[in-house]
Amino acid sequence: MPARLEITKQPGLRDAHGEGVRKKALDYFGIACGPVRTVQILTLDAPLDKAALETVRTEIFTNPVTQISSYSPLPVPFDWCVWVGLRPGVRDNPGATAAEAVTDVLGFRFEKDHAVYTSARYCFEGANLSREDMERVARELLANDIIQQWRVFHKDEWDPAKGIGLIIPKVRINRAPSVTVVPVPTDGDLLRVSRERGLELNPNDIPAIRAYFLREDVLEARKAVGLEAPTDVELEYISQARSDHCNHNTFRGVFHYKEPAAGVAQTITSLFKTCIEEPTLAVQRQKPWVVSVLWDNAGVARFDDSHYYTITGETHNSPSNMEAYGGSLTGIVGVYRDPMGTGLGSRLIAGAYGFCVGHRDYAGDLTPRLHPRRLLDGVVEGVKDGGNKSGIPTPHGLLWFDPGYMGKCLVFVTALGLMPATVAGKPSELKSAAPGDLIVMCGGRVGKDGIHGVTASSAIFSESTPAGHVQIGDPYTQKKMHDFLLEARDQGLITYITDNGGGGLSSSVGESARTSGGAFVELDKAPLKYEGLDQWEIWVSESQERMTVGIRPESLAVFMALAQKHAVEATVIGRYTDSGKLHITHEGKTCAYIDLAFLESEFPRWEFDCEWRTPQERGLFEPVLGEPRDYGALLLAMLDRPNIASREWIGRQYDHEVQGASVIKPFVGVKRDVPGDAGVLRPVLTSDRGVAVAQAIAPALSRIDAGLMAAVVVDEALRRVTAVGADPDETGGVDNFCWPSIRYDPVSNPDGRHKAAQLVRACLALKDSCLALGLPLLSGKDSMYVDGRLPGRFGETHKVSAPETLMFTASGIVPDTRLCQTPDPKFAGDALYVLGLTKDEPGGSEYYEMLGYTGANAPVADPAATLALCRALHSAVCQGLPASVHGVYRGGLGVHLALTVLAGNLGLDVDLGRVPGAERLPAWKTLYSESAGRFLVTVDPARETAFLNLFRGLPLARLGTVSEAPRLKVSKGGDVLLDTDADTLRAAWKKRFGGLV
Amino acid sequence: MGKPKVLVLCGYGLNCDNETAHAFTLAGAAPERVHINDLAGGKTALEDFAILAFGGGFSWGDDHGAGVIEAVRLKTTLGERLVRFIARGGLVIGICNGFQTLVNLGLLPGIHGDYTSRRVALTNNDCGNFRDDWVWLAPNPASPCVWTKGLGAFELPVRHGEGKFVCDPGVLETLKAGGQVALRYALEDGRPAGGKFPENPNGSMDDVAGICDSTGRVFGLMPHPEAYHHPVNHPDWTRQREAAVREGKPFPEGPAPGVRLLENAVRAAREAQ
Repeated sequence: MPARLEITKQPGLRDAHGEGVRKKALDYFGIACGPVRTVQILTLDAPLDKAALETVRTEIFTNPVTQISSYSPLPVPFDWCVWVGLRPGVRDNPGATAAEAVTDVLGFRFEKDHAVYTSARYCFEGANLSREDMERVARELLANDIIQQWRVFHKDEWDPAKGIGLIIPKVRINRAPSVTVVPVPTDGDLLRVSRERGLELNPNDIPAIRAYFLREDVLEARKAVGLEAPTDVELEYISQARSDHCNHNTFRGVFHYKEPAAGVAQTITSLFKTCIEEPTLAVQRQKPWVVSVLWDNAGVARFDDSHYYTITGETHNSPSNMEAYGGSLTGIVGVYRDPMGTGLGSRLIAGAYGFCVGHRDYAGDLTPRLHPRRLLDGVVEGVKDGGNKSGIPTPHGLLWFDPGYMGKCLVFVTALGLMPATVAGKPSELKSAAPGDLIVMCGGRVGKDGIHGVTASSAIFSESTPAGHVQIGDPYTQKKMHDFLLEARDQGLITYITDNGGGGLSSSVGESARTSGGAFVELDKAPLKYEGLDQWEIWVSESQERMTVGIRPESLAVFMALAQKHAVEATVIGRYTDSGKLHITHEGKTCAYIDLAFLESEFPRWEFDCEWRTPQERGLFEPVLGEPRDYGALLLAMLDRPNIASREWIGRQYDHEVQGASVIKPFVGVKRDVPGDAGVLRPVLTSDRGVAVAQAIAPALSRIDAGLMAAVVVDEALRRVTAVGADPDETGGVDNFCWPSIRYDPVSNPDGRHKAAQLVRACLALKDSCLALGLPLLSGKDSMYVDGRLPGRFGETHKVSAPETLMFTASGIVPDTRLCQTPDPKFAGDALYVLGLTKDEPGGSEYYEMLGYTGANAPVADPAATLALCRALHSAVCQGLPASVHGVYRGGLGVHLALTVLAGNLGLDVDLGRVPGAERLPAWKTLYSESAGRFLVTVDPARETAFLNLFRGLPLARLGTVSEAPRLKVSKGGDVLLDTDADTLRAAWKKRFGGLV
Repeated sequence: MGKPKVLVLCGYGLNCDNETAHAFTLAGAAPERVHINDLAGGKTALEDFAILAFGGGFSWGDDHGAGVIEAVRLKTTLGERLVRFIARGGLVIGICNGFQTLVNLGLLPGIHGDYTSRRVALTNNDCGNFRDDWVWLAPNPASPCVWTKGLGAFELPVRHGEGKFVCDPGVLETLKAGGQVALRYALEDGRPAGGKFPENPNGSMDDVAGICDSTGRVFGLMPHPEAYHHPVNHPDWTRQREAAVREGKPFPEGPAPGVRLLENAVRAAREAQ
């Protein structure tokens, strides 16, 4: 008989969680409740006697100072009670640790049918609350219907003796696992199977797949292992391997690019090869610090003589759009497995985030699955739990609002790791499984979760997107595995390591088998969360927290002993071979037998038509604007813009100090509230060398030209790391493209050719920028299909496409962190300089967006000029010359002068007439044009000459002086345009989100 | 005389072990990172060490209350040996999750040799969320605490969601009377924060940031001394550097405050050797 333990805070103690629920119910839905108390519930489904139950209640689950508990329902008063628990099969992490503690205290061992389940009930007081209110709070606030179930009780229907009853969310699948043979006599049959099974096979691939299974030699070889027609395991495998997510078919496609007006027509085969691989290899030849790029889970760059750092970035858009918290948590925890699975394995040293969502206060007619505000709350919280519980600092991140992200949000997650240059005498960046090496699956178990995640993210979000592809990551399990694998690495036990992310075993084993030349896998060896998974499900499941590791057979005993010490599950599921085949069996019976070579070749490239019409041809033009009269009010309005306003509430929830390596934090300045240009860490605690990381996006510019957008984000990211003290010549980048669907269709995607042209232009601009800056692309990923169909006012659906977005992450070496710089001016009397040219480039600016315009003259980055400035600035920083450095980004000089005032809490007295490049511009353009390539620097007059000597021939000018009284005074030709004190500026900047925690 | 040996626990989701060991090294000790299972399973003997450090992190994912399950594991495996370690003069520090573990083990408040009663708790922050911020801390000069002896007001980062110190008012009076409230959240001038947010970041009763046992050798605190082991860890360090440069002074002067706190214990351990 299972037992149900209820635990709650002692009466009179504040229930912080319940209070949060009360506040959100009011804020989100206008539902006003009285006090909300939460009751935690543990359902122990194990044969424990009364004495044992009492022991675990008092010894483990009840804090005598703060809690009360009982195996009968607690008499917490309510008008309504909402119970929320997990659906069957969803990983219950607290349930698992509860079982562990019960074993510790009682010595009781949990058998297969035993478990502890956690759930909660919320007791709402409020006589006026209706059932509809409570259903809404349950459905939209307390529970997520994909992973959770709930029940609503009115006080009149509550049985105080029975409470919620006994709910056991155990998975029961009453059938034996089976392999299905899928005959596909014609291409049409395979297409039908693809649709029915949700394989998302590209129609172009279908003849090639069928042809393979009809080849004489293939048929003969298959016959020898008892196979004829393809099995579901094989088709699922091919589907995973061929998905756009894994194979990057779009970036490897053929682009027919035309500019009709200019008479340009060219064909580019593989944007990846042309715009990413080639420039990176060219830069790598010049820069020996670029250690390993373009093939592994993350890029590898030299940190110092004995360490490398690893970096990569990903997105987790589709899952986050469905289930914001779980999606983003799984995203950040998932990207952390990439450096872990790079070379022979890295220790994680930092994470970063980028959230792109609809406006938080959206009040229009479209009804996305989650309102942007709730979606944002969820993704913020997911990265909090995923990052903090992993023990990895989150020193940097960004948030961007645009209505286009209501179709599908973007959740960028970036990870940095560190590894010794050699492991047990071998280069750490290389890995290779040898025939005979064992295939070990480490970490979590396999369940139905995550099945078809890869193919779902390769499709446009709609109501039929399978909900099952959402998983909930478990940072605790992964942290244990991380510690275990590092110890195994240092003992030289690992020959190959990679993560189980998208595609699960099919992807990790498939990829590692290429190094040895084959693999033999016994699927029945893989530990399952519950019985009843079909073979194909085990093979492609995306259950989280798993790594696939190759080890030599003689290392097995030591490896397993280490796993036991770290309480990590590790299981041998097969061995690497040199057979050229991927051979999968289940209980001795072959269920897949495929030539590895088949998946590496033989597929037709995807083709795209691209048509570029210039902004002018598309009807974009510069608005005809006159001089504003109230520059003060204008600046305050700019500081309150959603994409400018303080976002302190997000970064404060993220641990940015763990690991003790923090040098430049997310918030800097006197009041520690102004965002730093980049995060800086010194990951080797005995060394003053550091690594800086920063991210940039500029989706607003894509409305004019995604090529200009791409060049601007690369420029910004480089300037950000240079501003804090990184060497621009030891800086690399990570490109994350998020694009709407680019395949033209007259009905469903009428502007597909334009979006495809935008992609080509962005890639070409990225290539040009990287070559001009000498910036290697250490890693990158693309995520296409950032579109959604949202119901409108009358039930009609609207396709909403995200603006073309490139997130660019820069990471650079800081030779000596003791010389790092922050944006805050430090002493009155210092000189204020602007570096770089301010041009007539207000197109796509925040100012235009505020006034409702797009404009046409978007900023044109000048990589050569930026590099020259960055190099000179870096020399100045290395000589300790500046007193503060800050880049000029979104919002232009106006916003960034204001942030500089806020950072130092000192005054700036600025003469706009001196701004280089802006001699002929009206003041509003000088302040709000968003030209690339600029910095604001303050310098002690005693060091001014030395500083200026480094900038000979480069555009810079002294704009004014730092003053004692904290205010921003801007004048031009003797006319004072604005003179506003810092408190007023700060209040405007914090008005929008300052109340959030 | 050798350097005092420090056992720094790791594993099961703890995540500050590397920098805790590093900060102890800077403080003149010989730290060793030991997996909880190696200590619990007997592979490593607690008795070989002078100082035991329960570091920060999310032990067992912080499910069922922060530090609860770590305390269960150590209580069921080490139990009495922990108490004997203290009785024989051993020093113990619990930082953040380690503090939460100490109060769940009952090693704190450790009033007059009672090392098994859970009489204080660290519960959810009043602000309702995890918070990373730097706070001013005022040590209690009247405290027997070995770790905070001689320190003036200083700053450290807090990074937690469950750091609000609560206990029965009577217990608090006993703690205050015995000088066991060793560390309080403070204003910049060193006066207690008086419950003011964010100076008192979690709503702790009486601004309690850290307490010690009656002997002063067992100390638990929510802020992280090991995260301020280098001058560049401080949020204002670039301004401190610039000021020093202009006055022609060296930057930095002396070890970081987090290290000074650990040095106190290392010195005490050395004297006891």
